[in-house]
Amino acid sequence: MVESILSYGLAMGAVYALMAVTYNVMFSTSRVFSFTAGALGMLGGVFGALFIGRLGLPSGVGFLLTLGCCALIGVVTEFVAVRPVLKSLDQHLYVLSTLALTLMIQQFTAIEWSTVPQPFPRVLPFDLFVRERFWMPVLACAVVVGGMEFLYRHSMVGRAFLAIAEDNFAARALGLPERGLRIGSYALAGMIGGLAGFTSGGILLAFFANVPTLNFYGFVPVALGGIGNNRGAVVAGLALGLFQQAANYLVGGVFASVAIFSVFIVALLAAPQGLFGAAPARRV
Amino acid sequence: MPISEAEPLLVVRGLVAGYGKLHVLGGIDLVVGKAELVAVLGPNGAGKSTLLGAIAGLVPRQAGSAHFAGRDLAGMGPKDTVRLGIGHVIQDHRVFTRLSVHENLLLAGYDLPRTAHRARIEEMYALFPEIAEKRNQPASALSGGQQQMLAVAQGVVRKPALLMLDEPSAGLSPVLVDRVLAVAAALRAEGCSVLLVEQAVQKALGWADRVLALAGGRIVLEAATGGPDLAQRLKNAYFGGSEAAA
Amino acid sequence: MAAEETIVSVAGGTGIGLVPLLRQVAPFAALFGLAALLPLTHNAYFGLVIGRAAVYWILVSGLNLVVGFAGQLALGWVALLTVGAYTTSVLAAGTALPAISPFLALGAAAAVGAVAGVVVGLPALRLRTFYFAMSTFGFATIVTQIALAWRSVTGGGIGVIGPVFGGPFGSTWGFYYFCLGGAVLATWLSGNVARSRFGRGLLAIRDAEVAAEASGVFKPGLLVLVFLFAGATAGVSGGLFASLQTYITPDAFTFDLSLLFFIAILIGGRGSILGPLLSTVLLTLLPEVAAPLVAWSTFLYAALLLVIVLAVPGGIANLLDFASRKPLETGRIIRPDVSALPVLLSGHAAERQLSFEGVTLAFGGVRAIDGLSFTVEPAAVHGLIGPNGSGKTTVLNVISGYYRPGEGSVRLGERELAPGAAHSRAAAGVGRTFQTPRIVGEASVLANVMIGGTTRGRGTFLEAVFSLPRHRREEAALRERALLALKAVGLEQLAQVRADRLQHSELRFLEIARALMPEPSLLLLDEPAAGLAPDEIALLGGLIIAISRAGVAVLLVEHHTDLVFGVCENITVLNLGRELTHGTPAEIVAHQDVIDAYLGS
Repeated sequence: MVESILSYGLAMGAVYALMAVTYNVMFSTSRVFSFTAGALGMLGGVFGALFIGRLGLPSGVGFLLTLGCCALIGVVTEFVAVRPVLKSLDQHLYVLSTLALTLMIQQFTAIEWSTVPQPFPRVLPFDLFVRERFWMPVLACAVVVGGMEFLYRHSMVGRAFLAIAEDNFAARALGLPERGLRIGSYALAGMIGGLAGFTSGGILLAFFANVPTLNFYGFVPVALGGIGNNRGAVVAGLALGLFQQAANYLVGGVFASVAIFSVFIVALLAAPQGLFGAAPARRV
Repeated sequence: MPISEAEPLLVVRGLVAGYGKLHVLGGIDLVVGKAELVAVLGPNGAGKSTLLGAIAGLVPRQAGSAHFAGRDLAGMGPKDTVRLGIGHVIQDHRVFTRLSVHENLLLAGYDLPRTAHRARIEEMYALFPEIAEKRNQPASALSGGQQQMLAVAQGVVRKPALLMLDEPSAGLSPVLVDRVLAVAAALRAEGCSVLLVEQAVQKALGWADRVLALAGGRIVLEAATGGPDLAQRLKNAYFGGSEAAA
Repeated sequence: MAAEETIVSVAGGTGIGLVPLLRQVAPFAALFGLAALLPLTHNAYFGLVIGRAAVYWILVSGLNLVVGFAGQLALGWVALLTVGAYTTSVLAAGTALPAISPFLALGAAAAVGAVAGVVVGLPALRLRTFYFAMSTFGFATIVTQIALAWRSVTGGGIGVIGPVFGGPFGSTWGFYYFCLGGAVLATWLSGNVARSRFGRGLLAIRDAEVAAEASGVFKPGLLVLVFLFAGATAGVSGGLFASLQTYITPDAFTFDLSLLFFIAILIGGRGSILGPLLSTVLLTLLPEVAAPLVAWSTFLYAALLLVIVLAVPGGIANLLDFASRKPLETGRIIRPDVSALPVLLSGHAAERQLSFEGVTLAFGGVRAIDGLSFTVEPAAVHGLIGPNGSGKTTVLNVISGYYRPGEGSVRLGERELAPGAAHSRAAAGVGRTFQTPRIVGEASVLANVMIGGTTRGRGTFLEAVFSLPRHRREEAALRERALLALKAVGLEQLAQVRADRLQHSELRFLEIARALMPEPSLLLLDEPAAGLAPDEIALLGGLIIAISRAGVAVLLVEHHTDLVFGVCENITVLNLGRELTHGTPAEIVAHQDVIDAYLGS
């Protein structure tokens, strides 16, 4: 049982952490939390099953195509649901526009793909100590978080992301190509979300209804770990995954859901900006 | 110094700018010649920062025109104006505190060839040794004055043809204010034009060729520095009373 | 929001002409009248569909106040439909307690729903937008899971039988009329709330929260009332829904249903009642009239939502708002009529002095205000000037309770103004305007001004819900008073116009009218002349003097020195949070320190 809790818990925790990073990357350049994060996660699984399973493409090709398609969906999000409402950010229309786009993606998938969970094909012909569906999300999470750190520290694009995230106005005044960087961050977020869905396909399967689950459980680490804090998101994500699995086994699913929800609400109420985030000063 | 109408670098005509329904600037005419240091004065709320923002393309231009080195700036955002050679150092030394000093300067030349830009950064370090010492520290470790130096260095590092400084003296000690303004003057000596927004009027008057006073989004006074009654005329411009009465 | 609807709703109560009243009620009467004739078709299928739309509308009418009026993105309101449905069914079926009459059970569902509404809504007091949406979404998931797990009561996955309402409502069409009656009642009740000071307070919370507080709107209290109301309507809706379904399992309460409610409001138009009603009917009918669309219905709702958000943010209500498409007269001139001021300010407003004593306020080590003292006499205008960052607006924010000073006190007359507690200021006699006008753009000018009169209302929320006489009298008086305030500042002609159609300068005068509504002893003006043309500044100056002559102490923060020197008896000059000097305008102009502070030497 412990083994099962650990393997499922860590794998799901890594997926939640990846979803949180997806939220964060989009948020950093646009100050927008996009519901499409969950859709990207769901599509990672569906595209993977479509390319490798249904179309029979080699795993590597299917993987790259999945990332490419999800990056495209990320860019579409920016064009359709984010940029048009950025001017009036204070009206929070982004909540509605990204919700609408997400529902459209979800419903389209349900009709054109399948309304029942479809199996996700094996990616590699061998296992590394544990089955691939358990180690792949954890590896993906490690690679993404490490890669993001590298990007932020050692590339101009990464530094520009950090600059825009900290002070959008100053970054624009300095002549940074804010719009291009925003599109880039949405493409990147698309790939990260797609990666989460692809690597967790063995557990979550290729199923349109994964969207709300991924949206909610992916946002919990954002709330707990602090907005824009990827390391906090990983810690919170893994803890969430382990806690959820442990509670599932020990006391049953309803209690686990109620407990996670309670922690989420209490944490948000105690620190609406995330436990590791600073509250902005009030402006009158 | 006479206004070099022959070869103006920046020509602004009837500029109206603001946010939505609010017109902060109500029709500004302004000419800045090559290698001229023009100080823009005025009480706060007068529209000084909005003027710089509108020239840079950060604030929407609602009417009127702005030409820089013969190019119409219509439709251009800050990314384009920076590339044309307009450096804009905004208020409150808003450097990126999560990045190192060096990274802050690197970002200022985001699209420039790497090696040439590094050489320019070294020149900035020579100009401001205080920040050179802390080049690998996060900008949050700098004092307010050092952050202001970094912000000015960010604006200067691209060798702009026009440098716009928005209240570089705010929060600085008098010695530092002189340092910053001396840098501006040195740039002018090299042929760079400077548009300086200042509240420290006496300091600005000491370095500028010409002053403009803004009030209520309009230019209420335009004069060469060095006139004997300038202080009185400025006072009238701020506190009411006609210029003739001065 | 449809301005017309707003105007009329604001004008509601007594003192409104018959024609506008008819125009307001006509669309609703036509809609419900048509629905009442439906049984003539003997088409039971249509009866079922329209009946369902009516049941949905009962929920949406309450949720509309939460989402459309208060702007709280309650995404998972289906949780309350679930609670209402199970409460009614379980009590009527007697699986947990002895069975009771379904009508009683429905009443119990309203009560349970009201409480649950507060539980689901409460996070809104701390959380905003996306966070709140996520929290309600979480509630929706939890409630379904509990319904599934609590087998002894809910029957788990097997479910429980829905209530059957007997008597005249036992037949298909009898029950149809029962639901339709509920929908009419819900429309009337939610409309009553919408056109009361509570409804205006909700709009103010949505679009101008800071101004709402300064006008005396107490957000937590108001939201709790509205969540109670919206929870109760959802509970009733759930009970009827269960009866309509005849048998309920947790599967019946899909998240898609929640989205239908939510999207119906936004497509209908925020701040409207007719719009969301129409779109609720539309969205319910859409999959029924075009059978191949059933699978695509959620997709279509979402696509509609996207189009509305991007292209028609006002929704259906905006499309129906013909009045706001007529061009306004250009070249309008603001004509303040100061003769209205003595009447407006004649009441019980005592003349009181403002004492700002030894106040210190630090933000992270920086002293924004550093031991500042000054007084503002009644019937006088006191100016507060100083260079950038000298702390002028911060002083206003301490007086209006947005900031708590570290030391010192602020007194108005004999009473100390409690530190913080911004919502208490209007009642304490402090009115204020803001650097950037804070208004509800989609509401009429008149409604915006009436927001300022929030503290004058004595009628309770229940009196407003049922539109009882005292409430109606108060509304009429408030309306008269708001028109008088508009006359005083010179915007009377624009009373019925949507506020977002006004020019910037008109909004500044509108804010003054709103600030005068509670009959303040002290008026705080934060850069009222910013963005005004010289002739408008002159009008403003005259208005400020007239207001002070009526006995009000006026504190003016302004950069236009000509205005300050023209209207102030006394001026305090701030520099770096401290008083540099104070005196009459003549003294200030001659004061070398002031000139130095401004000229920066």
